[in-house]
Amino acid sequence: MAIVEVRELYKSFSRGKESIEVLMDLNLDVSQGEFVALMGPSGSGKTTLLNLIAGLDSPTSGSIIVGDQEISSMSESELARWRTRNVGFVFQFYNLLPVLRAFENVELPLLLLPMSTKERRTQVENALELVGLADRSRHRPGQLSGGQCQRVGIARAIVTDPTIVVADEPTGALDSKSADDALNLLELLRSELSKTIIMVTHDPHAAQRAQRIVKLEKGRIANGGAPSASAPYMPNVIVG
Amino acid sequence: MSPEMMPGMSAAPDPSLLLLSLYMALGMFGVLIMLTLVAIITLPIFFGVLFGSEFILSRLQNSGLFAIKMTVLMLRSLRRNLLRTSLTYVALFVFTGVLTLIFSMIDFLGKVTADKETDVKVIMTEKFQIPSQMPPKYREELKAIFETDLPKELRPRAFTAAERAKRGLDPVNYQPGTPEEWKQALLDHYMIWGFVGGSTDEKNKTLDNSLFLFALEPHSLLTMMDGLAIDDMTAKEHQELKEAIRLMQEDKRNIILGQDRLKLLKKQVGDEFRIYGSNYLEIVFDFKIVGAFPDGRYNASSVMRFDYLQAKLDEYERQKKQAHPLSGRCMNLVWARLPNKQAYERLAGIVNEPGKFSSPAVKLETASAGIGSFLDAFKDIFWALKFILMPSLALIMALVVSITMTIAIRERATEMAVLKVLGFKPNSAFLMVMGEGLLIGALGGGLCTWLLYGVMSNGVKFPIAFFSTFYPPWQIIVYGPLLGMTAAFVGTFMPAWSARGIKASNVFAQVA
Repeated sequence: MAIVEVRELYKSFSRGKESIEVLMDLNLDVSQGEFVALMGPSGSGKTTLLNLIAGLDSPTSGSIIVGDQEISSMSESELARWRTRNVGFVFQFYNLLPVLRAFENVELPLLLLPMSTKERRTQVENALELVGLADRSRHRPGQLSGGQCQRVGIARAIVTDPTIVVADEPTGALDSKSADDALNLLELLRSELSKTIIMVTHDPHAAQRAQRIVKLEKGRIANGGAPSASAPYMPNVIVG
Repeated sequence: MSPEMMPGMSAAPDPSLLLLSLYMALGMFGVLIMLTLVAIITLPIFFGVLFGSEFILSRLQNSGLFAIKMTVLMLRSLRRNLLRTSLTYVALFVFTGVLTLIFSMIDFLGKVTADKETDVKVIMTEKFQIPSQMPPKYREELKAIFETDLPKELRPRAFTAAERAKRGLDPVNYQPGTPEEWKQALLDHYMIWGFVGGSTDEKNKTLDNSLFLFALEPHSLLTMMDGLAIDDMTAKEHQELKEAIRLMQEDKRNIILGQDRLKLLKKQVGDEFRIYGSNYLEIVFDFKIVGAFPDGRYNASSVMRFDYLQAKLDEYERQKKQAHPLSGRCMNLVWARLPNKQAYERLAGIVNEPGKFSSPAVKLETASAGIGSFLDAFKDIFWALKFILMPSLALIMALVVSITMTIAIRERATEMAVLKVLGFKPNSAFLMVMGEGLLIGALGGGLCTWLLYGVMSNGVKFPIAFFSTFYPPWQIIVYGPLLGMTAAFVGTFMPAWSARGIKASNVFAQVA
């Protein structure tokens, strides 16, 4: 069963009087617990597609259903609320708040959810434990390496137990060792926690770690638009 | 009250509005510089409060309150660029300081020009001429009206023993209802002023060797002059002033000078010197300084005995065989304190009756109205202060705040985008930026006004225009932080609104 269904998606941007078609008649299904890599040349529309699936932008036309919710017609506030519970975002440059400690960075999205301090602390500690940074919870981003920052970013992405995790070039700013660690972690999320992961990457090695590679060219899917049959189902364990 | 502001003042030069405006503009510039320096000096206190609050709140954030967590986030955000936060603080500090000073001044002027219902001070001056010059016989004529034309309940009454003690006056003995009581009442509530200007150098008159004196009856210094009661100075100062007044009463030549006057003339208590009259031409006064006013509002004032002026005018007449041109016009003002406004209205009506005080005609007005009339000449300046300077300053400071906050938001666009990605609503971003501005505004405005209030209320004199000293109203303690927050709100609104409108997908598209 597809957890993400993209149908007849169009997205265009205006630049002055000119309209630029970025995505055209795009259809994509992603199964629950699947790890998908989006690849393609610059300007092919992969980040735009990722943003649309993550609810950061609205399509010009077409529909996007994540879980059982049609997000393409949601208002900005509704999308914000929806993102808190359903999307975990991993950034290329980590985008941690420099003034907050690792613990507080991971805790940020939980502040928007109705839960007790104790529950919140447990959740954050579990997430940091999972990424192997329980002992760095009091460090600020400036005191962590790039790889560690990215792992904090991944912990922040999964701490709300989201429906999908989207990652935009998660290894783009990392050395090969740290990149491997980050990819291992994403794989672990898929295999152990049955997280659905959609990752944009330019790196073929990173893409090889996904179960399916979807190639985009000039706003259309060149190949790989259908879900793979091997996507396993695993129950969530991070949130009890 | 200084001589420059008195109706009927004759000796002090009358500055043109242009010069006065220039003076005020320069003064305002000086105030801006001073406030900026003070703001810089108080930066450690500001950051101490900021970091202290963050320290305390970060320990309280385990309470789980969203507001506390957001406040900690705001406080930490303010710490990331200390220079920018400092600049915003200084701008808001200076803005609040200037507005507070202007507000205090206007409030002060409002108070001195507000009509009182009881203990009404009235001034009698010449009606159709400035400077006012009245014959000395008017002194007794007005006293006579008090006694003959005013009903008893509207006449001044002598201070009671308790009132005398409160004012630090020596006790006096009189039987109620006797002529002694009425005599004492006039001593307590009646005062005349003559203005005498002169120079220690007969030929080369400069500002430094010039002196302007109120010629009066020494006893009225303690009963009629504002700011010379026992509560207005230390017990020692009050004792010294009383002793100086006693010495004045002993010898006509004895005078009391203000501290600044003493310095300017390079004299000290005990010195004797000669003054060549500048308004009373060809009259020479020999003075002995027997005391100094306590440091404060009378720093620029000097007082002599009115009967010494009269004696000198008599001497002139004897020597020259003709009266001095000013001898019949040597009384410039008459002050009286009446029990209530009704007494003033009654007395004013009597004074204006045909046949009374007709040559020259006089007018009677309340002190507040007199000051108000005088301040009318400055109304354009006050208008400019209120409606040009204050709004301009507000605009400039709001712009400074707006620019610094806009730079901050531009630098933190990615951060704002991340918060939105995480699920923070657009209004959360707005409130966060606004909260940062308001925190600086409250602290900058608060520290500034609390400091100003503390300094000015503890005896540091702050001269503005023709008032050598004024005290700020207590309300500024509350208004200061509110003013700072208002300026911060205006300055931060646009940046906060732009933070609200940041589109995460656009920000990350630019980053990529």
